[in-house]
Amino acid sequence: MSQFYLTALQLALCLGPMAMGIFISMKVFNIPDITTDGSYTLGATVTAVLISAHFPLWMVLPISMLCGAMAGTCTGFIHTKLKIDALLSGILIMTALYSVNLMIMGRSNIPLINTASVFEQFHFFKNEQLNQLSTAILMVSLLLCFIIYLLNTDFGIAMRATGNNPVMTKALGINNDRIKIMGLAMANALTALSGFLVAQYQGFADINMGIGIVITGLGSVLIADTLKKWFNIKKISTQILLVVLGCFVFQSVLAFTLSIGIDPNMLKMVTAIFVLIIVALPRISGGWVKK
Amino acid sequence: MIRIQHLTKIFNAGKEDEVRALQDVSLDIQKGSFVVVIGSNGSGKSTLLNLILGSIFPTSGKIFINEHELTMQPEHLRSKWISMVFQNPGNGTAPDLSILENFRLASLRSTSKKMKIGIDNHFRLMVKEKISALGMGLENKLEQPMGSLSGGQRQALTLLMGVMDKTDILLMDEPTAALDPKSAQIILQLASEINKTLGITVVLITHSLKDALQYGNRLLLFKSGTVVKDLDEKQKQQLALSDLYEWFA
Repeated sequence: MSQFYLTALQLALCLGPMAMGIFISMKVFNIPDITTDGSYTLGATVTAVLISAHFPLWMVLPISMLCGAMAGTCTGFIHTKLKIDALLSGILIMTALYSVNLMIMGRSNIPLINTASVFEQFHFFKNEQLNQLSTAILMVSLLLCFIIYLLNTDFGIAMRATGNNPVMTKALGINNDRIKIMGLAMANALTALSGFLVAQYQGFADINMGIGIVITGLGSVLIADTLKKWFNIKKISTQILLVVLGCFVFQSVLAFTLSIGIDPNMLKMVTAIFVLIIVALPRISGGWVKK
Repeated sequence: MIRIQHLTKIFNAGKEDEVRALQDVSLDIQKGSFVVVIGSNGSGKSTLLNLILGSIFPTSGKIFINEHELTMQPEHLRSKWISMVFQNPGNGTAPDLSILENFRLASLRSTSKKMKIGIDNHFRLMVKEKISALGMGLENKLEQPMGSLSGGQRQALTLLMGVMDKTDILLMDEPTAALDPKSAQIILQLASEINKTLGITVVLITHSLKDALQYGNRLLLFKSGTVVKDLDEKQKQQLALSDLYEWFA
């Protein structure tokens, strides 16, 4: 039973960077970016191909993130310079990435057996699962520190202001287009990092692994948003922590669903319904309070 | 300071709904002057301000600031000379960011926003001092989100933010239209003070003829896209409120 939840925690940590990425695009910049499905798979395919070719991990990590950043840059460019709706820009790049991913892998699936893995780098414990878990905790903690720092820098304040009031930021000497492109690049680099982690955790990259993954990130961000409203949290640093917590809650619900024996084929349906509930709940209860 | 040559702006040129918002306007605004612009709706005064700000571009004519031509330069590049206070108090500040963060960004208007933490104790104290001069009791609410303040408070802070970084020109497009009379006076007095003590050129659009009379040292009256009256400080002082009403009649 607890095995389900340990796995959920592990997966939540692996998907945490993606959730942070969605937080950046959706909450910080106010852009609904669904390049995610493609850039997540991109991160995984690049990782699988490079690891199979025996590239060292310290090179695979930045390369896969860079590829994600490039995908985000494309979406950002289409959205800001060609003035195309953000949702459509994301769909276009996501669709194109399907072919790119197939091209990179040369087939639809690459297994990673007896290859180097980021989860086998540290040996804090004898138990393999605990080692994996602590590696993931370490990485996500480092990432959290970096993102929290970034969002509190002058550049980070400019990022948040751009999503909050673009009229003001233009008057304050901020190139809105450029900062949005940078934000989308960052968000998708984080998404690709999740692809990097998950490919090694599950031991394969698959062309279809990204389908619907955006909803997982979205769900995490929405859980965080609900918590933020409940506890009246204003600090951006706490909000980003809540996103990782939201990711764990989300995965736990899925783990619970599996543990009570629901057909795994129904998992996407359960996911969709769960997200619907998260979105609808505050609205319905808010309506009641108003009345 | 601001030199405007034969500026014309036509919206929807050649179409049925063509609007000649500004027609061949030439102006020279001296450094340190406080220009008040009046005129009925659609007379072209906001168009002029937006052309100077760079949020729209002219159909023909030229704009110079400090002898730099910036007729077609995008807004974010002009911001090193120009601060803007919008009519809507919401436009000048980011509601979800704290007062302190808003001020931090304003203090970097003419420079790049680097990846380092800029809000330190020194900065906090400086902002606190400036805000306490307003006498609104906001100096102890620096961490509060801007959105939790009233329109008058936000507008006053916007004005202060406008001079956080060195600036030459302060553009104000009906900054008091959405405010109660008391807040409105605070804003205009603050603008007048900024003009006098810092020598910043102020261009103020207003619909309040009383304010137009009370503030500024130059008065422009716009009518259907042209300047029909241009009074200097002396002429303005001899003006009575009844004269202004007559112009609008």
